[in-house]
Amino acid sequence: MSVEILLGIDLGSTTTKAIALDRTGRVLGRGITNTRSNYEVASQIVREEALVQSRFELLRHALASDPELSGIEPKFIGALVRNFRQQQHLEQVEFLESELHRCADAPRYAPNRKTVKEMLRLICQEMKSRVPDHFSELAVRKSDFFRDLAAADYMQCAERFSDAKHASFDVLCGLFDAAILEVENAAGNGAFERHASPALEQTLAAAPADIRTREARLRPAVESVRSLDFRVLGMVGTGYGRQRLPFPKEQIRSEILCHGLGAHAMFAGTRTVLDIGGQDTKAIQVDHTGIVTSFQMNDRCAAGCGRYLGYIADEMNLGLHELGKLAQESTCSIKINSTCTVFAGAELRDRLSLGQKRSDILAGLHRAIMLRAMSLLARSGGISDEFTFTGGVARNPAAVSALQGLVEQNYGVRKLNISPESIYTGALGAALFAQRSAEGGNAA
Amino acid sequence: MKAGESILAAGVDVGSSAVKFALAQVAEDGAASLLALHNERIRRRELRKVIRDGYEVFLEQAGVRQNDIAYTASTGEGELVDFRRGHFYGMTTHARGAVFLMPSTGAVIDIGALHARAMRVDERSRVMAYRMTSQCASGSGQFLENVARYLGIMLEDVGPLSCEAKNPESVSSICAVLAETDVINMVSRGISRSDILKGIHLSMAGRYTKLLRSIDACGDVAITGGLAADIGLCRALEEKIDEEKLTMRVRAHPDSIYAGAIGAALWGAHRHRILARRPEVVA
Repeated sequence: MSVEILLGIDLGSTTTKAIALDRTGRVLGRGITNTRSNYEVASQIVREEALVQSRFELLRHALASDPELSGIEPKFIGALVRNFRQQQHLEQVEFLESELHRCADAPRYAPNRKTVKEMLRLICQEMKSRVPDHFSELAVRKSDFFRDLAAADYMQCAERFSDAKHASFDVLCGLFDAAILEVENAAGNGAFERHASPALEQTLAAAPADIRTREARLRPAVESVRSLDFRVLGMVGTGYGRQRLPFPKEQIRSEILCHGLGAHAMFAGTRTVLDIGGQDTKAIQVDHTGIVTSFQMNDRCAAGCGRYLGYIADEMNLGLHELGKLAQESTCSIKINSTCTVFAGAELRDRLSLGQKRSDILAGLHRAIMLRAMSLLARSGGISDEFTFTGGVARNPAAVSALQGLVEQNYGVRKLNISPESIYTGALGAALFAQRSAEGGNAA
Repeated sequence: MKAGESILAAGVDVGSSAVKFALAQVAEDGAASLLALHNERIRRRELRKVIRDGYEVFLEQAGVRQNDIAYTASTGEGELVDFRRGHFYGMTTHARGAVFLMPSTGAVIDIGALHARAMRVDERSRVMAYRMTSQCASGSGQFLENVARYLGIMLEDVGPLSCEAKNPESVSSICAVLAETDVINMVSRGISRSDILKGIHLSMAGRYTKLLRSIDACGDVAITGGLAADIGLCRALEEKIDEEKLTMRVRAHPDSIYAGAIGAALWGAHRHRILARRPEVVA
């Protein structure tokens, strides 16, 4: 069986996103990964990920429409997805381990190779033993990206196992940096085909009775989405790295257009869009059809972009997810003096070592980034009506409340739209452009 | 302490990326020799602990005990060195350390993780003029470190790789953080790591040359700070100075990165002598 889909890919500087739509424009699956130096691999990975999610989504439809199975699908698919992710993660840790050992074969490690390799073995053993915890039902992950999860685990273990004489922390860090690049730049195709069966067995083995009794009907349902073929009717790429996407020119749209259209599709009443991405910040005015009428953009300086918060998160060894939550615990926001991102990072370290609270400093940093967004909004024409906030930063609750406060101060009360999927706005716009051209192509 | 006896003095230079330690033996007349040097990279660990642990390793390596040291001085961001007796401002310690390592020094360019500063000094290492980079980390050492991490290169390989460059790629973006993304872009365009690093080195060198010109530096210019160990940057700086036909010679000493710590140790010894001569001040 085959399913017809439309794809939009948004290659951002920090994350790459993909959206798969069916012919009617309904979202089937989304994919996201951290962007790496090989754009082709990044876009392949998100595409693959969007298709994996599409299969889960189609499975959900299939189960929901089967009278004997409907009702158990949230529980069953939830467990299946967790087990699937666990398998996928484990495979990557194993790959990382082999790359680490390969890197340790470099001549410079010869004098202490035995110790270094023994340490790598211990670290990876510990990392593997932690995998089930990361993907348990109640687990709160710092990040959804393998790189972040693996780095956090690795650094913790490395600090514990390292010894200054034979394999210092520094040496172990260097090995990780080299190995993770190799792991990230290998595209893991066919994940669903590989991991669906073991994940299914794992799920059934641990499943409650109401699921196990329906095993005979669940197995063929999973098998049928596993063997499904996707036929891509159209694909459009956008984002910061769009010029480097392996697409023909006519399948590329500017990110301004895609964000305008994507925001319009999510909230039809939108007239102003603020997009804070990793690499740039855009303030866009759109008309009632989602077409852009004016915009302003900052892509010269990282202060005011999402990268600012990303840099701070790295600096604090936190995942981007945790940053906003921590800032919200603040009782007294601190004014940050530095403008430059790197200096703000140093200021953060200084303030921490002086004993100021992490949450208060973070609240100040969130306000700082929003102050810069406000000036961009003002230059693009201000906020006259309904207002949509998109991009990765819109997922950050502290950033949103800082923005809300500033908008109200400057423009009065305005309706602020944020979709939980707002990070996919550009990809959605791109997929809709793909749908338009596919329709146009069929008509012709 | 008897007159004429030499003393031990330690210097701790807390930077934003590494902590440097130096131990000097200083004779009554000020003649000094270095006994031990140690560099501890911070790597986002808790700074207070890095300083403490690094100091212990350093003492062990030097084979001395804390009690043997007459004066321990901090410099840089030294507030967290709780075992220090005194603190010296970074500019004076770098000037002192540079002149100690390379007596012909007429100017110092201290290139650290966040800031760079150029100083014109006299033969007694007094600072006659100075200029620092502004409130933006463009072209800083931190930026170079991040780039190296992105490229999967150990920091000590950055210099040698840069020296192999054939067609340096010019770095367009000014912002240190966004330039990281530029680097990813370059990699995806197939530009070699050598050419990327050299391009970055040249753009950094351009900024430092401007700093040096603004203080009318001439003669021997000593590079100090963490980036003095980067042969690629030193080479790029030489090329820029050549290109602009300036009358300067760039010089780095193998121990240049310790200049701040060395300077702190030497100033510490100096202060100790003065205090010892005036016991009422100590009491």
